[in-house]
Amino acid sequence: MSPRLLLALVATGSLVVATPVPAIAHHAFAAEFDGSKPVTLKGKVTRMEWINPHAWLYLDVSMPNGKVVNWGVEGGAPNALLRRGWNRNSVLPGTEITVEGFRAKDGSNRANGRQVILPDGKKLFIGSSGTGAPLDGRDPTEAKK
Amino acid sequence: MTIRTRLAIATGASAVLVALVTVAGQNQSSDTKAAAPAANWTPPRTPDGQPDIQGMWTNYTNTPFEVFDESDKPDFYGGDVDGKGAGTGPGFIADTFGRKLSKGRSLVVDPPSGRVPIMEWAEKQRDYRLLHIQDDWVNFTPWERCITRGVPGGIFPPGYGAGYQILQGPGYVAIIYEMIHEARIIPVDGRPHLHSSFKLWNGDSRGRWEGNTLVVDVTNYNDKGNVATNIATQRVRSIPQSEALHVVERFTRVDEKTINYEVTIEDPKVFTAPWKVAMPLNLEPDYKIFEYACHEGNHAVPNTLSAGRAQDRGGRASRSQ
Repeated sequence: MSPRLLLALVATGSLVVATPVPAIAHHAFAAEFDGSKPVTLKGKVTRMEWINPHAWLYLDVSMPNGKVVNWGVEGGAPNALLRRGWNRNSVLPGTEITVEGFRAKDGSNRANGRQVILPDGKKLFIGSSGTGAPLDGRDPTEAKK
Repeated sequence: MTIRTRLAIATGASAVLVALVTVAGQNQSSDTKAAAPAANWTPPRTPDGQPDIQGMWTNYTNTPFEVFDESDKPDFYGGDVDGKGAGTGPGFIADTFGRKLSKGRSLVVDPPSGRVPIMEWAEKQRDYRLLHIQDDWVNFTPWERCITRGVPGGIFPPGYGAGYQILQGPGYVAIIYEMIHEARIIPVDGRPHLHSSFKLWNGDSRGRWEGNTLVVDVTNYNDKGNVATNIATQRVRSIPQSEALHVVERFTRVDEKTINYEVTIEDPKVFTAPWKVAMPLNLEPDYKIFEYACHEGNHAVPNTLSAGRAQDRGGRASRSQ
């Protein structure tokens, strides 16, 4: 299946507002990304950068105009992803994945990732600062809190 | 919110959640209450006679930094530059990795109110910098700039990377901080502080033993850093430090698995009175510290600034603080 852009810019007013619990951010989500612009990207992994303070996942996405564009997705810190169960083989180059996240405010082809859906349907939470956590209520297929 | 440490995996089309919590050796309870000294426990000694506080320690916790007040602006402290109530973003995860965390009243134990006595000017500076983070790199905290989380800020619990390895040698205590890849080498040989002309981001640490307690006196700060940098510190995040900052830390190993950590912070140019934080450090021998080379790929700074320029071009409303 060829990569394609599934959905972009679904404006929503139903953001889950953070409460004053211990927070993990290296930086402020809202300064860089737009929580009102969720985006779903589908394409083939080109590389995963295990870099600090945030890992970055890159994938080639076929845009509506047919042009293939490389998108970058910010994830959590490598040490956090490793402890959640990620490893170097989780998203090998060429893997067809779907990424749910939020677009960068500068309009570039970057997003803050929430979760990665693998070809077999498995979901990996890639979130960094301010992405939806598992069981945060955004995914109707997930069990309730 | 309870433990959010599970990696949710939906298998196939059925999207069945399976908890993937098996992070080796990291499932023990991690009580955040300060422990009472064990009655019949004497800390071991290092070969050179110091009380032995060596080991791998963590301080994952659900205890808030301060007691919450209705006047607090948690979204703003989390970086909500638009006032949309999404400072920390939609939804949040605290990576506690399978630990059972208790939630106490506050890490700030003095004043008894659990509120840090911050001067008004310092709160205004914090507000300005948080609101104008997209305008200038100097408005970022030193953590966001990958410089340092500070002393004592480096030990205020982040939600991930909360590991600290303590090693001792003759005349020294070394602390390796997982977040953000920092190491302190603290002389405990009685030498004096550096000359006052030396001004450092993390100050100049000098340790001494008072019984079984390591007391670390920290002076010689510059005025570029912040007392606290991570969002979990809420109202205290991005509060400036002055050259008058004076920090006294106390590490007391009260049983095999617990160090009681206390820190007194006084800065007469920033706070109206000294204040104190207390928390346990919990022994986790199997915990592994991962490298966190923060500047390796710190795209957040240029991306945040470019977000601000894009918003300027789009007619961002002028911000008033």
